[in-house]
This record gives sequence, structure tokens and C-alpha cells, in this order.
Amino acid sequence: MSSRSFWSIAAVFTAVACTGEPTPTTDTAADTAAKDTGAPPVLSPSDLANGSENIALVPSIVETQRAMEAAGITTQLAVLIGEKPYDLNNDNKDNVAVRSGVIIANLLLTVKDSKKEQLQDQLTKIRAGMSTLEGGSDIDAMLADIEDRVKGDSVTRDDLLKEFDQLSGAVIPELEFNGQKRIVPLIQAGSWLQGANLVAKAVKKEGKPEAADSMLKQPAVVDYFIQYVKNEGSEKAPAAITEKLAESLTTLKGLAEKKEPFTNEDIDLVIKTTDDVLALL
Amino acid sequence: MISTLLALAFVGAASADELEAETCLRAKVWDGYAEGWGIRTMTTSALQNGQTKNYLVTLYKGNEYQIRTCADANVKNLDVYLYDLNGNVVKRDETTDREPWFGYTPTDTGTYYVVLHARELVAATTPAGVAMAVTYK
Repeated sequence: MSSRSFWSIAAVFTAVACTGEPTPTTDTAADTAAKDTGAPPVLSPSDLANGSENIALVPSIVETQRAMEAAGITTQLAVLIGEKPYDLNNDNKDNVAVRSGVIIANLLLTVKDSKKEQLQDQLTKIRAGMSTLEGGSDIDAMLADIEDRVKGDSVTRDDLLKEFDQLSGAVIPELEFNGQKRIVPLIQAGSWLQGANLVAKAVKKEGKPEAADSMLKQPAVVDYFIQYVKNEGSEKAPAAITEKLAESLTTLKGLAEKKEPFTNEDIDLVIKTTDDVLALL
Repeated sequence: MISTLLALAFVGAASADELEAETCLRAKVWDGYAEGWGIRTMTTSALQNGQTKNYLVTLYKGNEYQIRTCADANVKNLDVYLYDLNGNVVKRDETTDREPWFGYTPTDTGTYYVVLHARELVAATTPAGVAMAVTYK
């Protein structure tokens, strides 16, 4: 991924971080810039779609939790995560990618309050997943560093949350995974699917199915996942998880396009559909 | 260590110009964390004079968003817009500079395009490095 040394970069930026002083920004210059009266470019829907990038498309699970709270759902997603042993012997990369996405989502939701052993277990699994997926030496070094700091109790849980928020939003989507283009979408699909499952369980618990409308009606996101799961980069026979994922995403797309507010039956279908995929991981 | 992660996010930047843009944006995102802003994504690109770059983005009802950008010194005026799927401009920056940004709070969950436009470069024949981040709280 890079010819620059992770550790040289780490040294520079750790030094900055350790000062405790915010890095100066140039907002002042922007705020005082001359008013721009130029007309915006005229872009048709096809102009916009052609060549657009999807790197910013999928919301993070922390962002989803915040939107859920804004929708009046007070249940914390973290308390709805079930105990589940993952099949770490399954090295099919599709499976590993989706599973890694789920574990990253779980870590993000639980990191502030989880037991140290649980956190270390999640970190070990994510690091193993990134290694299997050929994420490269830089991210491996970064995860090793985090493991060391967790082991030595030298990082706060608030800082860990920020670090993993960035890991899922800004680091992993930029990794090349040795040219395997479907890996990033599958990791994102795992996190998104876990989020959909937990949101559905939260609104069901509170008896407010319509509150899920603003979190689960994202047809463009589902389309993006379907594109990769069904088509791009399928070099070998689909794994069971990929087939079930495609089936589940097709069901979720139908629900995402629904004009009327979600009903209890819709929410039950989201839970069953996502549970079916998550059970295979 | 947080800024280390941001550095790692961009170690694949293709050119020195993109590195300049990402360094500027990284500082802004870093400051934003202190004010409760989380990060959806951060990315870099190279633009020719007058060229646009589009990013599909989902925004949640109930959350606040900021679209932050930085460009290298070859940019005289970078513009950033939010378009809906029908090609209508929903929000835009209104400054003539190379670090435009704006905030947006959607009234409904929806899909939009963030569009970067290299409206005017200093050296028109040399591509410029630009960086874009979507942050939320």
C-alpha cells in the first residue's frame, strides 16, 4: 500500500498528538476568502453517476447509533450484541471480510465499556482477518501497536473509539488488499448488516418500527453491496455466506424501497434476514 | 496516536500535491474530534483545471454533517457542492479559496453527491491535489 514507513509517520504524528495542543488550522483564511459567485456546474443525474466514487457512501455504525438516538430510540445497540463464536478456521476471503466487518462493528459499539479480555479478543480477530485478507504490513503494525497499548493499559477507551472510528471510515476503505476490489465492500457489508440487525432489534424492543425508516431505507447502499456480492470479482464458486448475503441483500433492498413506514412485520423480516447471514459467520 | 491513523489513511497518496492537501485536511479533522465530530471518510484525488469529482454519500436524518476539503497551492479556487440525485444543488460553499467547507443537517435520510470542482488553478496545465472528508455528529 505504501512506500512510506508507517513508523516514520507514526513518530511524526505521535509527537504532534502528545503535545496535547490542537493542530492549527487555516479556517480563518477560508472564512475571510472572497465570496464566490460562480455558477455551479450543471450536472445531470447521469453526469453525477458516471465515475462517481462510493468511498463515502456507507455510514458507520457509530453514526447509525447517533441517528437512532435522534429518532427517539434509547436502546444502546451494544446491549443487543449476542454471544457468538466465529468460525476462525474458515479462510474463504469473502467469509473473512464479512466477519471482519461484523467484529469491527461490535468493537466500535462496545469499546467504551467492554472487558479488557473481550477487547483483546476482538483485536486479535480483526488483526487475523486483515492478515488473511492481505491488508498489508502497515495496518498489521497499527493493530499490533493498539494491542500493545490495550495490554499495557496505556490508551483510554475514548481514544480507542476515535481510533477505530477512523480505522473503519478512513483507513480500511483506502487499503488495496493486494488488488482484491471486493474486500472493502464486503467488510463494509458486514458492518452495515450487523448495524441493520441491531437497529431492527432495538426498534422492535421499543415497539417503534417506523423509527427504523431513517436508518434502514438506504437503497443506494444496498445496491452497492449487491453489485460486489453478485458480480464484481467473483473468481471462484460462491461461498455459502456470499450466496446467503446476496439473498438477504435482495430482501433488504425491497424493504429499503418501501414508501410506507416500516411495520412490525417488516422489522421481523429484517431481523430474520440478517440473522440468517450472521449465523453463517 | 489518533493522528497516526489519519496519516496511515493517506500513505497511499499518489503525489506530493495530494500529500499537501491531505496534511491540511488531516489537521482540520483532528481538530474536529475535540468538538465531537466523527469521521465518515477521508480521501484524496488529483483534478485538472475545471474538472469535477463526484462522491456518492448517504446522510442520516437527525445527524449534523460537515463536508471539509483542502487543496494544494496550485489551486486558486476549489468549490464543493452537495447535489441531490436529480442534479439539483442542495448546498454549496460560497468562498473563493482552496479550503472550502459547509455544514448540512438533512431533514430526511437520503443519498446525495458531494462534488469537488477545481474552478481555477494557478498553473492551468498542472493537476492539483485535493482532499475531502465527510464528518458527522
